[in-house]
Amino acid sequence: MEISAEELNRVEKKNLFASGHRACGGCGQALAARLVADAAGENTIACVATGCLEIFSSPYPDPNWRIPFLHSLFENVSAVASGVEAAYKILKKGPVNIIAQGGDGSTADIGFQSISGMFERGHNVLYICYDNEAYMNTGVQRSSFTPYGAKTTTTPMGNRTRKKNLPMLAADHGIPYVATATVDDYRDLQRKVKKALTIEGPKYLHVLAPCPLGWGHGGDLTVQICRLAKATCLFPVFEIFYGEISNIQKVPQKLPVEEYLRLQARFKHLFKRGEPTKIVAEIQEIANQNIARFNL
Amino acid sequence: MDKLPLGLALDLSKVVPYKTGSWRTMKPLYIMQTPPCTHSCPINNDIRGFLRVLADKQDYAEAWHILTRTNPFPAACGRVCPHPCEDGCNRRDFDTPLAINSAERSVGDYGLEHRLEHRKEVLTTRKEKVAVVGAGPAGLSCAFHLAKRGFPVKVFEAARDPGGMMRYGIPAYRLPKEVLDREIEAILKLGVDLECNVKVGVNIPFDQLRQDYHAVFLGLGAQKGVTLSIPGDDARNVFTGVGFLQEIHRGRIPEVGRNVVVVGGGNTAMDCARVAKRLGADVSVVYRRTRVEMPAITAEIDEAMEERIMFRYHTNPIKIITDEGRVVGLLCVQMELKEADASGRARPVPIPGSESVVPADTVIMATGQEVDYDGIDLARRENKWISVDEYLMTNVEKVFAGGDAVLGLETVSAAIGQGLRAAAAIEDYLEGHVESSLASPPVVYFKDMNSYYYTRKKRFAKEAIPVHERLKSFHEIYAPFDHREIIGEAKRCLSCGLCFDCRNCLMYCPDNAVNIHPATGKYEFDYDFCKGCGLCVKECPCHYIQLTLEK
Amino acid sequence: MLKYLEGSHAVSQVVAMCRPQVISAYPITPQTHIVEDLARLVGEGQLDAEFINVESEFSAASVVLGAAAAGARTYTTTTSQGLLLMNEVIYCIAGMRLPIVLTCANRAISAPLNIWNDHSDSMTVRDAGWIQLHAEDNQEAADLHAQAFKIAEQTSLPLMVCMDGFILTHAFEPVDIPEQKEIDAFLPPFKPQHIVDPRWPRALGLYADPRFYMETRYILHRALEKSEQVISRVSADFAKSFGRESGGLIKTYNLEDAEVVIVTMGSIAGTIKDLIDQLSEEGKKVGLLQICSFRPFPKQEVYRVLKDKMNIVVLEKSVSLGRGGILASDIRWSFPRGEKGRSISSYIAGLGGRNISTDALREMVARVEKEQVDLAFLSLNQEIIAERDL
Repeated sequence: MEISAEELNRVEKKNLFASGHRACGGCGQALAARLVADAAGENTIACVATGCLEIFSSPYPDPNWRIPFLHSLFENVSAVASGVEAAYKILKKGPVNIIAQGGDGSTADIGFQSISGMFERGHNVLYICYDNEAYMNTGVQRSSFTPYGAKTTTTPMGNRTRKKNLPMLAADHGIPYVATATVDDYRDLQRKVKKALTIEGPKYLHVLAPCPLGWGHGGDLTVQICRLAKATCLFPVFEIFYGEISNIQKVPQKLPVEEYLRLQARFKHLFKRGEPTKIVAEIQEIANQNIARFNL
Repeated sequence: MDKLPLGLALDLSKVVPYKTGSWRTMKPLYIMQTPPCTHSCPINNDIRGFLRVLADKQDYAEAWHILTRTNPFPAACGRVCPHPCEDGCNRRDFDTPLAINSAERSVGDYGLEHRLEHRKEVLTTRKEKVAVVGAGPAGLSCAFHLAKRGFPVKVFEAARDPGGMMRYGIPAYRLPKEVLDREIEAILKLGVDLECNVKVGVNIPFDQLRQDYHAVFLGLGAQKGVTLSIPGDDARNVFTGVGFLQEIHRGRIPEVGRNVVVVGGGNTAMDCARVAKRLGADVSVVYRRTRVEMPAITAEIDEAMEERIMFRYHTNPIKIITDEGRVVGLLCVQMELKEADASGRARPVPIPGSESVVPADTVIMATGQEVDYDGIDLARRENKWISVDEYLMTNVEKVFAGGDAVLGLETVSAAIGQGLRAAAAIEDYLEGHVESSLASPPVVYFKDMNSYYYTRKKRFAKEAIPVHERLKSFHEIYAPFDHREIIGEAKRCLSCGLCFDCRNCLMYCPDNAVNIHPATGKYEFDYDFCKGCGLCVKECPCHYIQLTLEK
Repeated sequence: MLKYLEGSHAVSQVVAMCRPQVISAYPITPQTHIVEDLARLVGEGQLDAEFINVESEFSAASVVLGAAAAGARTYTTTTSQGLLLMNEVIYCIAGMRLPIVLTCANRAISAPLNIWNDHSDSMTVRDAGWIQLHAEDNQEAADLHAQAFKIAEQTSLPLMVCMDGFILTHAFEPVDIPEQKEIDAFLPPFKPQHIVDPRWPRALGLYADPRFYMETRYILHRALEKSEQVISRVSADFAKSFGRESGGLIKTYNLEDAEVVIVTMGSIAGTIKDLIDQLSEEGKKVGLLQICSFRPFPKQEVYRVLKDKMNIVVLEKSVSLGRGGILASDIRWSFPRGEKGRSISSYIAGLGGRNISTDALREMVARVEKEQVDLAFLSLNQEIIAERDL
């Protein structure tokens, strides 16, 4: 499907994810969902998995969605979206944008089976993962997206595993489009949503969505934290077309990971009396590996 | 409550949104702040305003009108002002400060090229008449502002032509006379009555003015030269600084000879030195302290040095050596600097045995200026300058004063600023009340701004004509600036403290609580839904949004 | 048209004629033949539907949930472990009032693994808000599917057709398969009540806090109760259109002057009818009550036909471990509290595909004639039971 450069790059603000949701002030996921909904437009069906987004956006009787919304369970949003897509195909309705949205669990853990099936079968669905690096809705428990060293309620001494690399796993399913994005660069995020929706087949968009409560920073720092995640090379931003990585956002002025870690209470235990412990060096090593791998 | 829909499937057009604004403990507000450029400017020009108009609309005419709301002499100031605005400019903490002075000149020149006319604020003529004594920057500025407010103003000028130090002090290579003439002409076109060759206190009694007018403004300046009283100062070719410049202005160019020595460290001294250089002499400046203590503006000293004028620091004259009544040399002694004296500057003390003679054919002593109070009796401070209260009124009822006569030797801009303040004070006085003016908004500094959204860019650099070309004449040393380059420079303005439509607040609010009003086009917060998270505050590049405590 | 075919295929043929638009199922013995046949029909172009091969039963149910929410007529089938895996979705579908039709090829539940027939799987979701209809034979299994879509779409309730795994699914019998046009006349196109569609934006699947949740449960309960009328009516419509009785709430056999009544569900009814005929020749008056609609439980109908029957034995292929017979509980509850003189016995039989012989049934009848049996397991092999495990 063709889309003009002007339309692709136009910044959208339509209030399709309207005011009146119950997210915490400064919530990265709410900001992301808002930008995504506006970029996708009115002709969209939003499927959402159980999680923060679903809970704060869809209580009866005052949900804040203004586009059709479908929620079922925690681990099946990809399958549900697949069903919607199949129905629209057989009923010869549409074209319509079908987006499936979920957090850590519904994407990479309990919902992994479902998303893998959806990718493998080739449904025309855009899956957007709001990565806030833990199971935030149930109280900040660790997920497979929790980064190395982070404190959560179920890893109180700091997480010992590395973040599961879902963008690469998604790409290895052979789907046409995978991308990563952050909420500080809203032009980039909206452009990626729009671009994805022009492509037939399964698409995966991985958005870093800081959680002020869970990460331990002020709600006003959400955008800055994203910038630091990119500047410290802990969150590389790129696109993958049929397995080929491209459009990598280079980081000309790299910052040490400390600048990112110090701002968040979930990493406070990594600094003893203000001095970094060796875990910080290990996290820097992860950043260095990203630099090498993606040539940041 | 409505009946539950089947399967709880809800028609979204029927939803009454939940007002999350009730959660708020802090509330964002759009608050305009004063940018440090305006704060540093003695005239408080709306610098941000005129630069933004250049940047956003490329509209030189509107920029001129914004600037001339406060300053009637943009073309002049754009040439002679030491631009404290640039010292205050927040961009100094980011890459380089904005070349505001060059932008001002460019705007001023545009106004002259296109013969733009000042706009009156009050179209009717008021009945109260105001007299202004002195057609220098302070007097003309006061007249300008009063005339805009509808007052009939008469300006009395002792000299032959208006302009004060702008004409008789500042030489043509810094401020071409045509530029000055035309800016004065534009002021007079507002209906200001000007009479020259009238010295108040001498040709007209001061008291008569007080009777005939409802208020009087004194812009007397400090145009009387003060010399060091040293032996030989009555010889031929010994001038005071202002005296020398006045001779030049009148066209009576003295024979300065080969060696000219200028004594003094102020702007007048620099002007004298550079004029003498253009008359073909070798010029040296003698100053008893060092460059650091010289009160002249930096640009003047730099340009003088470029023009190969020699500076003899730590040097104080003690005697003018004459031969048959003519100057042949200046006996000087070396000084060393001890602790600060009353002026706050290091105290120079002569070093015994260090006397030497500097050859000189002309000695110009630009060592001080004072007010010519002839026929005018007023309270003074330090026995030199006119004493005024906070409303710029002297100890004499209905008589106000401003400029060098009040401040001591200051800049043209300072005088213009005083004229503006005096005009407002006079209006208040005549209306019988003090207009309670709101305190201007606090100043916004770079530390409170978000620099991420600005891009580094090279500053506009003005180019001077080569030194040997300069010295051949009294032409301006900077050629007119390219209007497009100036617009490029204006785009560097960070718009400190005032929204410039970056739309960050609009896009970054997770709650859609920032919107553009469909009719007015203004940004507004939807307080029904704003949770007070402060993201907008953090991401506003120019600190236009602040959080206050919610009641 | 009369065809000699496997139970699974009878079902798949009728389901296909009901024109489902989205089908998604995960294979599990003994339902696999239904799934395979439908895949073939879709693949060959005989059925215009989207057939989604998912990676688990959970996703199968989720896919049909999504498709039904988008306005398609949907179908899935499963059994045993698969039904347990999609447990969450089963409840979700009912709560969202999506009229999905599911065939449960009844099978025993692990552990230990057992692929043969009993009713323990559909029993696990009896409280979920689905209509559960039990088929007696392959003909009824096929017929019930045509009725199922109609009932579900009229009541906005999901419907589970239970047929005994292997016994019905893999048995070959002559079955009258209707014509497409007959099914079309009987079953109109699906008109969904609420869908996700950008033209009429709605939110499906909102969460309900304590102010609202209870009412949704009440509404669902009442909807199920009221669906009894629809079940009866559609069964009557079917009889009118196709000329044979099938479905409905209950069926009776030889009940008029029966002294002992056996109550049961599913294919065992056939064996029992044979026994009843034999006993009748021997002068014994035994009758049969078949529960066809297990959910909603037709309490009033049960009472109506059994009120004068003082000796009832409930024979079922399920047990609530630690409690006793499930169907027996429901039957006991159909009678007024505290009434005296009625003997209601509970027999658990056929678990894990254990054969139910007419001899064993004779013994059962003989025993209940003498005494009320609170709980017994038919044909239990005591010899292999170690005392220590009891």
